[in-house]
Amino acid sequence: MEGSSGAGREPMTPKQRFQAVLAGDIPDTVPIIPVIDGYYAPQVIGRANDECFMDGGCLAAALEGALERYGYDGTLAEMGLGSHPNVLGCPVEVEGNDVPLVVDTVVRDRRDLEKLAEPDPWSERKMEPVRRLVDSVGAGHAVLGSVRSPFEYAATVRGLVGFMTDFYRDPEFVHELIAATKPATLAVGRALIEAGVDALVIKDSFASSSMISPDHYRRFAFPAEAEVIGELAGEVPVILHICRNSMPILAEMARTGAAVLELDSPVDLAGARRVVGEGIVLKGNIDAVAVMEKGSVADVEQAVRVAIEAAAAEGRFILSTGDSIPLAAPEENVAALVEYGRKYGRY
Amino acid sequence: MSQTLEQFKQAIVAGDVDGSVALSAAIIAEGDATAEQITDHLSAAMEEVGSRYETGEYFIPEMLRSAEAVERSLAVLEPYLFERQHDQGGVVVMGTVKGDIHNIGKNIIVSALKAAGYEVHDLGVNVSTAKFIDKVKQVDADLLLLSAFTTSTRPALLEILAVLEDEGLRDNLKVISGGASHSPEFAREVGVDGFAVDVKSTLAVCRKLLGD
Repeated sequence: MEGSSGAGREPMTPKQRFQAVLAGDIPDTVPIIPVIDGYYAPQVIGRANDECFMDGGCLAAALEGALERYGYDGTLAEMGLGSHPNVLGCPVEVEGNDVPLVVDTVVRDRRDLEKLAEPDPWSERKMEPVRRLVDSVGAGHAVLGSVRSPFEYAATVRGLVGFMTDFYRDPEFVHELIAATKPATLAVGRALIEAGVDALVIKDSFASSSMISPDHYRRFAFPAEAEVIGELAGEVPVILHICRNSMPILAEMARTGAAVLELDSPVDLAGARRVVGEGIVLKGNIDAVAVMEKGSVADVEQAVRVAIEAAAAEGRFILSTGDSIPLAAPEENVAALVEYGRKYGRY
Repeated sequence: MSQTLEQFKQAIVAGDVDGSVALSAAIIAEGDATAEQITDHLSAAMEEVGSRYETGEYFIPEMLRSAEAVERSLAVLEPYLFERQHDQGGVVVMGTVKGDIHNIGKNIIVSALKAAGYEVHDLGVNVSTAKFIDKVKQVDADLLLLSAFTTSTRPALLEILAVLEDEGLRDNLKVISGGASHSPEFAREVGVDGFAVDVKSTLAVCRKLLGD
């Protein structure tokens, strides 16, 4: 790709780059939007995760700080680390820089479904960081609102072990749980759209083929994905994120109505392109742990070059990490992702 | 009897909870199986489940289904095993370390260890150092299994090992860390006696460290 178009294209703003890719046009350079969220970003402004946990101002400042320091093209706009489980009434705690923990489940059996909290993404100033990011960086950069799928919300309120045990013990209950949590995905998605995001990232981490079989994905996760994306994609483009290996379910993911598939490192990008065809944007897939956390700058360069060669030739590609960048990822690796993304990503 | 035990093993592998409970009752009714024969079959079943996960035939829900079959069968078999078991597999304290709430892998390992005849004390998830230490002392544990899904739990592992050392508990206790992201390098770095990434390697490292 480097130097492939001779004089190169007119420089674009980060947001134009993102929009060009979604429109199927070739941008000046491959857009770079790593998965930097409220887990990694606070340290960039010298704050701890628990400080930004429910403090929208802190979280927005952290995400702005990371965007400014590293110079990528768009940012995630989150409601706050604890807000997603909290949307449905799950108590969440975080200490220092630890990962936020859902300390209790709220659905132990069918009777508890009625007690699920009414999803209210506007309460407790949950949308504050999103609005602030739209105002502060949204004019020039892509702002991606982050929401969980009904399948992921269902696993959260039930607890992952109980939820996945129910696949065989009581599959009807799994369907009921997903139906009960669908309004949360829609409410959060609509609130994010109203706050002005450019796209929605729907995370469906547990639907991964590293966790559940493709059959179970088709039976439980896919219908809910397709339904919520069908309702939300008319307003803004939807990015569907599934962790780890999603190769066996890529064809279905491509049929959900998502404009972008965010793919993790186990997925072969060239193979993924063959499966999903030309119409869908691929986003990925630098290994967040092996490369970003544990690798060297040279490893980052190599991974970036390989990803761009595999997926970017015809456009419709956003360079990203496959999943959230871990807290311990060295600063120079994050900087290298952007530096080499720019170097090898020129059209 | 060998036929009932073989059917029992297959029911566990298939995650047939009702079938494995019924076969547990049949084993007791027949009454000629030794405790060792039963735990050998249970252990082999969970190793088979682990192998099927490794090869992509099984996923997490299938492993959980088999783990449930083990738990329910052991509830039936426990008095029978208690009467006949002369050699305990060892006393194990296990939990997921502080800052981590992943419980799927831990639960499956707990079932596999019980199936293999170990006395297992499961402390749950997000377990503090003090809770691990108290339990190790209380039950005079032979093995401490620390489940830690990501490498970001390194500080928690180091703290537990430091306290064990300070309190002079390392001499008679082997410490194993486990999780999908664990490697020999990581185990060496934090200073545990062994590490495991799945059912098979956990059973193997427990056997090795206890000299079975």
